[in-house]
Amino acid sequence: MASIEFLILFLVAAGLISYLLTKANSFLGSVFTIFAVFFVFVSLAAYGFNMTLSTDVLLLPGFSFELTYLGVYFVMIISFVYLMVSFFHPYFVDSYKYKNAYNMLFLLSLAAVLGTFFTDSFLQLFFFFELIVWTTMFLIPLGKSKSAAVMYYGFSAAGSLSMLFGILIMHQLVGSFNIADGLSALTGTNAVIVFISFLIAGFSKLGVFPLHVWLPVAHGNAPHPFSPVLSGALVKLGAFVLVLALIKISPVSFTVEAIGLPFANYITAILGGLSIVFGTLMAIREDDAKKLLAYSSMSHGGYILVAFSLMDSVAFAGGFYHILAHALASAGAFMAIAAVARMTGTTKMKELGGIIHKMPITYIVYLVAIISMAGIPPMGGFISKWLIFQALINKGMIFVAMAAFFGSIGSFLYVFRPLAALFLGQELPQFKKTVKEAPILMLIPMAIITLASLYTGILHNDVIQFINKILLEIGYPVITSSAFSLTGYNGMLNPGLIALVFGIGVLIAFIIFILLKKSRKVGLMDTYTAGNFIHTEELLHYSADFYAPLERLYEKYTTKMTDFYEGLANKVKELGRFAKYLFMSKLVEVGIFWMMVILAFLLWGEI
Amino acid sequence: MKSTKFTPARHLTKEEIDRKWWEVGDYFRRNSLWMLMYCTGCCAIELPPAMTSAYDMERLGMGPMATPRQADILLVSGYLSLKTLRRLIYTYEQMSEPRYVVGLGSCPINGGIYHDSHAVINQLDQYIPVDTYVAGCMPNTESVMNGFVDLMEQIKNKTAVGWKKYKDNYEWYRKNQIAALGEVDIHDEFHE
Amino acid sequence: MVLNILIGIGVALFGFILQTSVAGVNRKIIARVQKRYGPRWYQEFLDIFKLLSKRSVTHGWIFDFGVIMALGGIIATAMFMPITSTILAFQNYDNFFIFVYLLAVGMLGMAMSASGSGNPFASIGVMRALTTMLAYEVPFMIIVLTIINLSGTSSLSGIALYQQATGNNIFLIALPLGGIVAVLSLMGMLGKKPFETYIAPAEIASGPMVEYGGKQLGMLFIMHEITVFIEVSLFVHLFLGGATNIFEFLIKYFLTYTAVNLISNVNGRLKIDQVVVFFYKWPLFLAIIQAVIAIYFGWVI
Repeated sequence: MASIEFLILFLVAAGLISYLLTKANSFLGSVFTIFAVFFVFVSLAAYGFNMTLSTDVLLLPGFSFELTYLGVYFVMIISFVYLMVSFFHPYFVDSYKYKNAYNMLFLLSLAAVLGTFFTDSFLQLFFFFELIVWTTMFLIPLGKSKSAAVMYYGFSAAGSLSMLFGILIMHQLVGSFNIADGLSALTGTNAVIVFISFLIAGFSKLGVFPLHVWLPVAHGNAPHPFSPVLSGALVKLGAFVLVLALIKISPVSFTVEAIGLPFANYITAILGGLSIVFGTLMAIREDDAKKLLAYSSMSHGGYILVAFSLMDSVAFAGGFYHILAHALASAGAFMAIAAVARMTGTTKMKELGGIIHKMPITYIVYLVAIISMAGIPPMGGFISKWLIFQALINKGMIFVAMAAFFGSIGSFLYVFRPLAALFLGQELPQFKKTVKEAPILMLIPMAIITLASLYTGILHNDVIQFINKILLEIGYPVITSSAFSLTGYNGMLNPGLIALVFGIGVLIAFIIFILLKKSRKVGLMDTYTAGNFIHTEELLHYSADFYAPLERLYEKYTTKMTDFYEGLANKVKELGRFAKYLFMSKLVEVGIFWMMVILAFLLWGEI
Repeated sequence: MKSTKFTPARHLTKEEIDRKWWEVGDYFRRNSLWMLMYCTGCCAIELPPAMTSAYDMERLGMGPMATPRQADILLVSGYLSLKTLRRLIYTYEQMSEPRYVVGLGSCPINGGIYHDSHAVINQLDQYIPVDTYVAGCMPNTESVMNGFVDLMEQIKNKTAVGWKKYKDNYEWYRKNQIAALGEVDIHDEFHE
Repeated sequence: MVLNILIGIGVALFGFILQTSVAGVNRKIIARVQKRYGPRWYQEFLDIFKLLSKRSVTHGWIFDFGVIMALGGIIATAMFMPITSTILAFQNYDNFFIFVYLLAVGMLGMAMSASGSGNPFASIGVMRALTTMLAYEVPFMIIVLTIINLSGTSSLSGIALYQQATGNNIFLIALPLGGIVAVLSLMGMLGKKPFETYIAPAEIASGPMVEYGGKQLGMLFIMHEITVFIEVSLFVHLFLGGATNIFEFLIKYFLTYTAVNLISNVNGRLKIDQVVVFFYKWPLFLAIIQAVIAIYFGWVI
C-alpha cells in the first residue's frame, strides 16, 4: 500500500543517492534516476487510478495530504513526462558543468510536484510550489545562458508572492489554511482580490499574455532534456492554479448578457485569445526550434485559459483533454529536437537541413507530435480543439472564436517550419558523415509518447470518463461520451471512425501507388534548377526567413511587450538609485541636508 | 467447323499483354502531350500563336508545363550553341519516360544558317535522339501544328521510340557529346 | 459498417469523376470565352491517366510516403461528404470540422513530400500555400460559426436540411454579406486567380509540384480534383441549401464551379502579402458584421 508521503520521501532519498552515484559514475546515476522515477510512476498508476493511495502522514509533521481526481489527473500526466524524459539523462548529463546536481534536482522537483497536487492546505501548496521553482531554477542555467534563470525566477516569484497574498487574505477570513474552507468562504471584494492574485500566479506559471516574456528565454535556453519537462509538465502547474481560481472562486460581477458569462471570465477569455494570437505570430518568425516550441506552449496555454473561462462542461472537458494532448505533443516535439541537438550541436534552423535521411524515426516522432499540436485528426489535439470550438460556438463568442481559429490555422505554419527547414530539404555536407540515428534508449520513450498521442486521438473514452469524474468533483455536469462517439452541443464525433476511414484512404492510395511503374531513384542534388549545374547544398536549402512575406507585415510590433517589461525594470532601478541617493549617499551635501531636516523637525515645537 | 469445345482458348502471352497495356498508354500519351517551355532559339517565336487563340494547340490536348519532370515533349526551337547543348542534355536526362523530342526549324537538322559557325552544333540527332523535325527557317505556325500532329501519328504507330534508342545506344550518344563539348556536366568552378 | 465504407468509397469515386468532367467542360467554356476551341470534355481524364503511365523519379521514401498520405487523407475526407440528404456514408458524423482538418492532413502530406524533394521552389510554394490558407480560413470560419449557431447543428446534412425547411432561405440569401465572403474564401480554397500564388508557374516553377512527374504527379492531380470536389460541395451544402436529389446537386455544383472559374479567369495574380492583407481587410470586416447582426440582433433574411 503506497502512500503519498512515502513516495515523496522516497524521491528525496533517491535524489541524495543519485547525487552520490553520479559523482562516482554519471551513467550509473542516470540509470538509477530512471529506476526511481519508474518506481514512483508505477506506484502512482497502480494506486492512483483506483484512488487508493494512502494519505496518512507518519513522518512529516504538519503536512497533510488529500487525494482528489483533479490532483491524480495532473500528477499522472506530469510524472509520465518525467519518466519519459529520464531516459535521456545518461546521454546528456556528461555535458553539463554541475552534472552531479542534475539528477538530484530532477528527482527533488518531482517530489515537489507530488506534494503540490496532493494537498489540502494552502500553506503546503505554497511550500511545494516554491520548492518546484527553486529546484528548476538551478537546473535551467546548466543549459545555454545564466540570465534565463533570472527571468524565470523573477516572473515565478511575482506569481508566487501574489498567490501568498491571496492565501493570507483567506487565512484571515477562515483561520486555517484548508483549501476547501478558504475558497468557499470568499465573498464580495475579498473574492475579487483573491481572484486577481490567483490569476496573476496562474498566468505567470502558465506563460500567457501578459506574463509571457520568460517562456521563450527559459524554455529555449534550458538544457535539452529538461525543456520537455518545463514545457510539457510544469506549465500545467499554472493551469492547476487557474482551475482553482476560475472555477472555484466566482467573483460576483455583472454578467455580459449577450454571452451569458460573468465579466471577469470574459476578460480572461479575451486575454487567452490574445495569448493564442500573439504566441502564434511570434512563433512564425522564430528561427531557433526550441524557442519556437516555447511560443507554441504560450499559444496552447491560451487555449487552456479560454477553455477554463467558459463556465461550461464541454469547455472544461476540452481544457482537461487539451492539457493531456498538449503535454504529450510538446514533450514529443522537444524530445525529437533534443535528439537532433545532441547529434548536431545546434537547434537553429538556419544551420540544419536534411536530417531525415539519417534520423528517420526521430522524424516520425516529431511528425506525430506536430500533427497533434496542430489539432489534426487522428491525434488527440483534434478532440480537445473540437470540444473547445463546440463550447465557443454555442456561446456565440465571436472574437475569442476568431482568435482560436487563427491560432489553429496559424499552428500549421509554425509547426511545419522545423519539419521543412530542419528535417527535410537538402542534406548539408557537414552533417552527412557525423549524424546517426539516436540510440535505442532514447528511441524507446519517443516511441511510447508517439503511441500515447495516437491513443488519445483514437480511443478517447477512458480519458473522457476520468475527466467526467473530475467534472463531478468540481460541481459541473458530465459530458456524454461512449466508446465510439463524443457528443458536443451541435454535433457528434467518432474518433475511431475517423482513424479507420483515414486508414482505408491510405490503403487505397497505397494500392494505386504499388500497381504503377516503379520510379527511378535519384539524389537530392539532381533537381530542377532551370538547367544550372549546382554543387553546393547550402545555397539550395530554403530555411532562413521561411515566412518572410508574412513576417514583414508585423515585424515592427514584435518587441513591444519585452520593451514594456524592460522599461518597468529600468523604472525600478531608477527608484532604487533615487533611494540610494537620498539615504545612502556618500556626498556631504546630502548628509548636511538630512541633519538640517532632523534638527528642524526636533525644534519644531520650540520655535 | 472446328468445335471450340476441344480447342483450348488462346491465352495471351506476357508480351502481348504488355503490348496491349502499352497501346492503351499510347492513346493517353498521344492525346495529352505536355511540352516544356524551353525556348532555345529564334523559332520559339512561332509558339505563342500555336498556344493561343490563333491556332490553339489545346484542342489537340497539348499544353505548356513548367519543369522537365512534368513534361513529355522537349521542344528544341532553333540553333543550339555549345553552352545551351550542355543544359539541354541535362534537361533531357531529367525528363520522365517516355519522352519525345521535336526539332523546330532547320538548325537541328543540318545547322541551318549557322552551319559554319564554330559555336553551334550542326546535327542534333547525334547528341540526343529526335523524333520529329519541322523544317523551315522559320516554319509557319501551321507547319508547327502539322509537326505536332505528325508526332501524335508516330506515337500511334509506335515509331516514336527515341527515348528507347537513347537508353540502348547510350555509349554512342555519350561519345558524340564528349567529342563536341568536352564535358557535359560542368565541374565545380568555385572549389577547384 | 462495411456497407457504409463501400458507400463512402463510392462517394469518393463519384466525386472524382464528377469533378474531372466538370473541369474538362470548364476548360472548354474558358476556351470559348477566349475565342478558341478548347480541348475535349474528357481531357482531364486523359491527362491523369497519361501521368499515371509514365515512369518518373523519386527522391527517397518521404517523397513517396507524403504523396500516399496526401491522397489517402483526401480520399478519407471525401468518404464523409454527403451528396444529398440520403446519399451519405456516415450519418451524423459528417461534422464540418472534420472536413477542414482532414483536408489539412492531405495538405501536410503533400507539403512533406514536396519539401522532401530538396528543391527550394517546393518549400517556397508550400510556404505560400500555408500563408494563403491562413488568410482565407479565418473569415470563412466566422461565417460558418454564424451558420452553425443559427441552425443548431454542425453536421453538413443537418445544415442543408435546415435550409430546405419551409420558411428558411438558403444561407446565400439569408446572410448576404456572409455569402460574399464565402465566395471569396472559396476562390482562395480552390487556388484560383487572384489567389493562385502558391502554384505561380512562371515565378516559382509551379511551386510544390516542381519535382513531380509520372505517377506521383498523377496521384496529386487526383488529390487536387477530389479536393475541389470537397470544397465546392461544402459551399453547396452550407450556402446553397444542399440538394434533395442528385440532379439538383449536379446543377448547383456545376453552376458554382463555373461561376467561380469565370470570375477567376479575368483576374491576374496577387502577391502573397497582398493576399493576406486583402483577406484581413474587407472580408474579415464583413464577416464580423454579419456574425454580429445574425447572432446578436437576429436579422436574418
